[in-house]
Amino acid sequence: MNLESLATTYVIIIIPVFLTAFIIYIIRAVKGPSVPDSVLAIDALSYDAAAFMIILAIYFKSPFLIPGAIILAIWAYALDIFVAKYYEKKELGE
Amino acid sequence: MFYLLHLIMLVLMMSIGFVFAFLAIMERDLLKAVVFSAGQAAAYVIVYYLLMSPDIVLAYAAIGVGIYSAVMIIAIKKTERYEKV
Amino acid sequence: MIELVKTILFFIGMGLVGLGAVFDLIGALGLLRFPNFFVRLHAATIGAIGGAVYPLIGVALMAPSLESFGQYRWYLMGGAIITALFIVLAAPTGSHALARATHRAKVVPVEPKVVDHLEEDRG
Repeated sequence: MNLESLATTYVIIIIPVFLTAFIIYIIRAVKGPSVPDSVLAIDALSYDAAAFMIILAIYFKSPFLIPGAIILAIWAYALDIFVAKYYEKKELGE
Repeated sequence: MFYLLHLIMLVLMMSIGFVFAFLAIMERDLLKAVVFSAGQAAAYVIVYYLLMSPDIVLAYAAIGVGIYSAVMIIAIKKTERYEKV
Repeated sequence: MIELVKTILFFIGMGLVGLGAVFDLIGALGLLRFPNFFVRLHAATIGAIGGAVYPLIGVALMAPSLESFGQYRWYLMGGAIITALFIVLAAPTGSHALARATHRAKVVPVEPKVVDHLEEDRG
């Protein structure tokens, strides 16, 4: 067994763990009693989705979808800052 | 075997996006609706990744998660937060 | 010699990816089970740093052994490292901004509390 097929088999074992974690984040984002709980769950979901996309690049053996992970991580950070600025009672961009 | 795993991931992510879109429409608190809409965008980014379309992944991540939420939160701040029945 | 180093880095990377998956599950369970927003921040930190940065570093260490990518394995390695660096910088900043705004706007009560000097200073 060479390293390539070992990596593919290992990633197939890893993928259901990530999917289970996604479902639990979704439950918290839907249940969340206040808005910051939902924002926190969506935030962690987006960062883990960025990591999941790069792990899927090993599974698909195709590297040309890597920049999507960088873009998703950057804009998930922006959502945090927007909601925080809303609660700080300041204008956005001030 | 491989196609079954693809199909499971695709169906799961599309169901998550459907649930978030439904909640975003039915929610009275508009700030929470914006957060649900961002979650729907994050789920659909993975759907478009599995469908192998890199340009739509780039555009949907930037617009759906970031710019749409920013514009809607500015609009909520200028007007009011709770929807009237 | 180079092959040996590549193989060792490959197995270290596999360990980091598995550790990241386990941390991701732990962070999600903590985010579900903890009672309060300020308590849930701890679990969210595990979910963001442990669940995203560790697998990315692991993929970057696994990348030089993946021969079927050709030259693009260095592209995979660079993309993984840049995303990991950005998440390390961005996730604590976003969580801190959100926690500060929540505490200032008094959206959620600070539940397991002995003394809160920040609230007393603001009056």
